[in-house]
Amino acid sequence: MSQTSPIVLEAHDLVKIFHRGSEDIPAINHVSLSIREGEFVAFVGPSGSGKTTLINILGCLDNPTSGKLSLDGRVVVDEGRVLSESALTKVRRDIFGYIFQKFYLIPTLTVQENVLLPFTFYRKPGADAEVGRILKLLGIDHRKDHLPGEISGGEMQRVAIARALINRPRILLADEPTGNLDTRRSEEIGELLKGLNRREGLTIILVTHNPALANIADRIIELRDGAIYKESWSSNREA
Amino acid sequence: MNSGGADMHKKTRILWLLFLLLVLPARESRGAVGCDLNDPDRDVARLFPGSTGFKTNYVSIDKKGGPALLAQIEDRLGDQFQGLYETIDVPYTLYEVFKGKEKIGYIHGVNEKGQYGGLQVFLALDLNGVIKTFYFQKLTSKYGRELRDSTFGDQFVGLSLKDFYRYDVKTGSTGGDAALEKIKNPVPEAEPDFKAALRATKKNLILVDEFILDNKYLPYHQAAGGTKS
Amino acid sequence: MINIFQVAYKNLLRKKARSALTIVGIALAAWVLVSLLGFNRGYEMSLNRDIDNLGFQILVTAKGCPYEAATLMLKGGTGLRYMKADVVAQISKEPEVDEITPMLMQAVFDPNKGESGGYSAYLGVDPATFPKMKSFLEFKQGKWFTDPEALEAVMGYEAAELEQREVGDPLLITEKNVEVKVVGILKRTGTQDDGTIFLPLKMVQKTFDKTDDLTGIGIKVKKEASISKLEDKLYQLPDVQVVSMSQVKQTIMTLVSTAKVMVFSIALIAILISVVGVVNTILMSVMERLQEIGILKSMGATAWDIFKLIWLETLILCISGGVIGAFFALGTARLTDVLIRRLLPYAPSGGLVQINPSLVLLTFGIVILIGLLSGVYPSWKAGRVRPLEAIRSQVE
Repeated sequence: MSQTSPIVLEAHDLVKIFHRGSEDIPAINHVSLSIREGEFVAFVGPSGSGKTTLINILGCLDNPTSGKLSLDGRVVVDEGRVLSESALTKVRRDIFGYIFQKFYLIPTLTVQENVLLPFTFYRKPGADAEVGRILKLLGIDHRKDHLPGEISGGEMQRVAIARALINRPRILLADEPTGNLDTRRSEEIGELLKGLNRREGLTIILVTHNPALANIADRIIELRDGAIYKESWSSNREA
Repeated sequence: MNSGGADMHKKTRILWLLFLLLVLPARESRGAVGCDLNDPDRDVARLFPGSTGFKTNYVSIDKKGGPALLAQIEDRLGDQFQGLYETIDVPYTLYEVFKGKEKIGYIHGVNEKGQYGGLQVFLALDLNGVIKTFYFQKLTSKYGRELRDSTFGDQFVGLSLKDFYRYDVKTGSTGGDAALEKIKNPVPEAEPDFKAALRATKKNLILVDEFILDNKYLPYHQAAGGTKS
Repeated sequence: MINIFQVAYKNLLRKKARSALTIVGIALAAWVLVSLLGFNRGYEMSLNRDIDNLGFQILVTAKGCPYEAATLMLKGGTGLRYMKADVVAQISKEPEVDEITPMLMQAVFDPNKGESGGYSAYLGVDPATFPKMKSFLEFKQGKWFTDPEALEAVMGYEAAELEQREVGDPLLITEKNVEVKVVGILKRTGTQDDGTIFLPLKMVQKTFDKTDDLTGIGIKVKKEASISKLEDKLYQLPDVQVVSMSQVKQTIMTLVSTAKVMVFSIALIAILISVVGVVNTILMSVMERLQEIGILKSMGATAWDIFKLIWLETLILCISGGVIGAFFALGTARLTDVLIRRLLPYAPSGGLVQINPSLVLLTFGIVILIGLLSGVYPSWKAGRVRPLEAIRSQVE
């Protein structure tokens, strides 16, 4: 990554307030940040620090109370004015691939069918050609005809990642992707994400409370009480 | 008031209809007409004193063994099956008779062409195929009274297929079988129906032997000069 | 590759028992529906055919209850009343009459039929007029007798089978000890004719010593003539009963329609229950899969995509149920027939339950409509799930 890569995500003064009874709880407190193409950013922080809320807003899964968010040059939210749900769906499928702590594979579909599932709704031009390569890249090629019940948890998360990548997103959003895995599998997934970022140039936004996983990112943003508390660049990457 | 009662009755009937629709298993439909007891509950009890229940089985030559079986049966009978109604697909009704849980015998009837109409000859048999009761369920004959008299039917009691092998159903010759010689025709003029009754009995016994007695009596047929196995 | 249909289908496989039970519910509803529609169609068809196969539109009998008279003609029976033969000449004079045929039914007790005896019924018909009126009767063997006094008989197929008669065989009229020769055996018609033994009219009159008596007169009305006008005239005749087949049909249809209303309301309830079952099944599976639906939306599925998916699941359930139910109905049509026959005041001969392709299609249409309708709410609900739901519910 270089400082000259284009900015793919830009957030300005994001605020999210949850209303609980008569009380207003600020979950995100004036956060501004920008992410360049090819960056690997990890959000860390104690629970309640607002990291999941923030990533949901960045990923267009939730709307901020105020502030502005642009993705790839398109303004998604500006001072509370949000795109329509269908326009948001378009933005989401163009920009993002999502993975979560749980894998949400359909148990009666094979690995390959699960990976191809997004195609039943939307197929980015040229995406078909990538299927074989993505399965190989994620090391689940040999498992493609198995059902999810027949493979390990680590493999299931790989399937979920493959599914997120099948439409070639600009940004992979990973919310606690190793939360359901043991240490060894977590490390494997970490290596995999690192590889995707380094070799494929995939922009990754990661939320985790696992320090080891966060450390593979080249930029770590620590949140406290809904605001950026500390931001650091790791040195484990040559320029 | 009255019509209300009638309505209720109708409603109950319709509920029964739906109940039956949902619960009863499908019954096989039959093309050719077989030979059933008119009132099986009453008739089985009468033909088989001491019985407490029965099971109804439907068997046809067609389903059991096809043309090969028909050929064997005709060979054993010593005559061809003939006419519009004595065909390979006639469903025969074979009643298995029980006393409690124990099987005690069989009842089986056949149609036979008589001189003036159809005969229905039912035999109640013990487990070895020995006749316990001979019964004309139906008989259209000028001499119906004499033939249906118990003195006629009683002459068959104790006989089995063994005794009928030398009987020639075409000529009516007993072939010298001592037991058969004793069966007397009560009215000389009723000769055609008398012969039909004997043919029906022989046919009846052969079918029972083929259908349920595992051809126990086949060796007697061979001994009596039967042409093939 | 994979399409939305496969996804819907495989989603249903996830809860096999639940999907299967829902299908069974729909199948039962479809079965009841097909059977009932089939009955509705078949009953009227059979009744019409029975009446048409009588060959005449008006039956004149001696005084008695009209329904009994109808039953007598349709089923054959006893409790006979007589009228004088000269009535035929009187009726023939009416200009509306196209053809007319006198009949004399006789029943004899046969002590050698069954354990306690039984009745054999004979219908004396006029060889000059009866065969012409019943020209649709076909012969398996032989042909009609021509001599009105001949000692000859034509037998319906079932009567012949019971007596094991073929053309040329003698037949005994037991009580009278009269021997007749079988000259014809009819093909199976599925009507009361199958069980009838036809004899020449004059011969029956002579044998039973009823030389001047008739039990029925069949009248075929001229095509353009008014049946009701002729009926009115016939009512003027003394000591006769006029049974118009259209009246009989009317009466029977009225009797049956009450039963039909009941049965159809029950079918309606069955359908409503199955609709509720389908809605419940699909709604449950949507609720269980909220998170997953959220994920699908995050993958780029629109609300309409999700709506389609869930709707398709509903349709698959309904169509499978419909197919099974329809086949089941076809398979059990005969049984249904037997059961309905036992319960109705009067059942015509022939198939009471007539299921044809258009009827099956109609039922499919109804079942699919049910599927579409009952799928709307759960599908709409699923379509509205926001992708955030997935994440939110995993956070807590």
